[in-house]
Amino acid sequence: MRVELTENRGRLAKRLQKITGENVMLCYQCKKCTLGCPSAYAMNLKPHELMRALQLGLEDQILWSGIMWICLSCETCNTRCPQDINILKLIDGLRTYYFHRDYYNPVPELPIMHRLFLKLVRRFGRIYELGLVLILNLKMVNPFKDTDMALPMFLRGKLKLFPHRSEGARELRMVMDRLEAMEEKT
Amino acid sequence: MRYAYFPGCSLSSSASDYDLSLRTVCRALDIELVEVRDWVCCGASSAHATSHLLSIAMPVLSLSHAETDGFERLIAPCLACLSRFKVANREMQENPEVREKIHRALDYQYRATVKAYHPLEVMMEEEMMEVIRSKVRKKLSGLKVACYYGCVLTRPPEITKFDICEDPQSMDSIIRVLGGEPLDWSYKTECCGVSMTLTRSDIVLKLSNDLLREAKEVGAHAIVVCCPLCQANLDTRQLQIEDKYGVRYGIPIIYFTQLMGLAFGAFPKELGLEKLITSPRDALEVCGLM
Repeated sequence: MRVELTENRGRLAKRLQKITGENVMLCYQCKKCTLGCPSAYAMNLKPHELMRALQLGLEDQILWSGIMWICLSCETCNTRCPQDINILKLIDGLRTYYFHRDYYNPVPELPIMHRLFLKLVRRFGRIYELGLVLILNLKMVNPFKDTDMALPMFLRGKLKLFPHRSEGARELRMVMDRLEAMEEKT
Repeated sequence: MRYAYFPGCSLSSSASDYDLSLRTVCRALDIELVEVRDWVCCGASSAHATSHLLSIAMPVLSLSHAETDGFERLIAPCLACLSRFKVANREMQENPEVREKIHRALDYQYRATVKAYHPLEVMMEEEMMEVIRSKVRKKLSGLKVACYYGCVLTRPPEITKFDICEDPQSMDSIIRVLGGEPLDWSYKTECCGVSMTLTRSDIVLKLSNDLLREAKEVGAHAIVVCCPLCQANLDTRQLQIEDKYGVRYGIPIIYFTQLMGLAFGAFPKELGLEKLITSPRDALEVCGLM
């Protein structure tokens, strides 16, 4: 792969270090992260390649690969990293930093799911599983996804048709609003 | 012993069998569970992908309820919740900047005095094993199981501080006390892919298929789990997996609490065994429990 380095290539790594406290420059490409990663097979950019791309400041390649949304957050990579780099923290840093920004994302389902999840939790204080699945399927234009699972679950009383509202929902909404205001300021 | 109990969203809906069996087993072991007052979702994988502060604030909100009610120990049976609690407590202790912001957002000074435990952690405490041994009335003789611990029970070790990170033994030793035979296998802490279950199910099917195949290969009658999300993936999606990969597993995915309950002599109804999608009947007939 031909790589063109830009002048401010250190910017992304510095920004992430500020958000997460992790230093990507410590990575020496031993590939333990990739070898243990359960979803590496589905990634265009593998975890060790992400580390190198971060060192080189290849922002577009990172975003366009969708790696941050294919990661399952299973914590294997950071547990095994000989340099003690918390790779999941870095990926979470990327996710949160770009969450409200525009970029080409090959895996748009994931941020859509997270947004919807938090919206439902905001309303009910807890997750409303059936609602989450139904609305998400509509949003992914795949309305009948997993409908084969619904009947066996329903028959065993594992599918609640209606949401349950927690008494703590109001308090949670207040906390969410305050956090949002705080984050807007910074 | 009295514990604050945080069932989490799964146990109050799709994993009601785990909730039921856990309560039954805790009753037998004199562990009193008091549901956390007005608890809210821990935020699991969505909050930490959206905002770091939110991912700390959500678990701390429920923890603060337990703290004001005077609890020092909290049981969280779902690994996603458990992991969020442990991370949140650590952040509140070690990151003054985050702590200050969370205090302001909650309008409450959470002092991080409520420690979160998985039921397995409580059962591995000193003397508890002897109590469990004394309660066993029907041995699980002849039952071979693969204990599946999932991704974040032991990872990352500096936060979870429990069991052996890459080769955990806690569930294995409980099964042994119950008279069953835990098998050696190499997928104990592999991920089932749960955060993708509603979006990229293809990844979940592949990872769960790997797990089921390995369990079948070592000759397991059942896979024993300690997380509602692992259970949901391996059990409710098992037919889809069999279809996609052209195989037939029929391996029941049983909660460790259900097996404990059976060994203690509880009725299958008290343990929600009829709620499992892949029937555990064949497996339990092996040890004459059904």
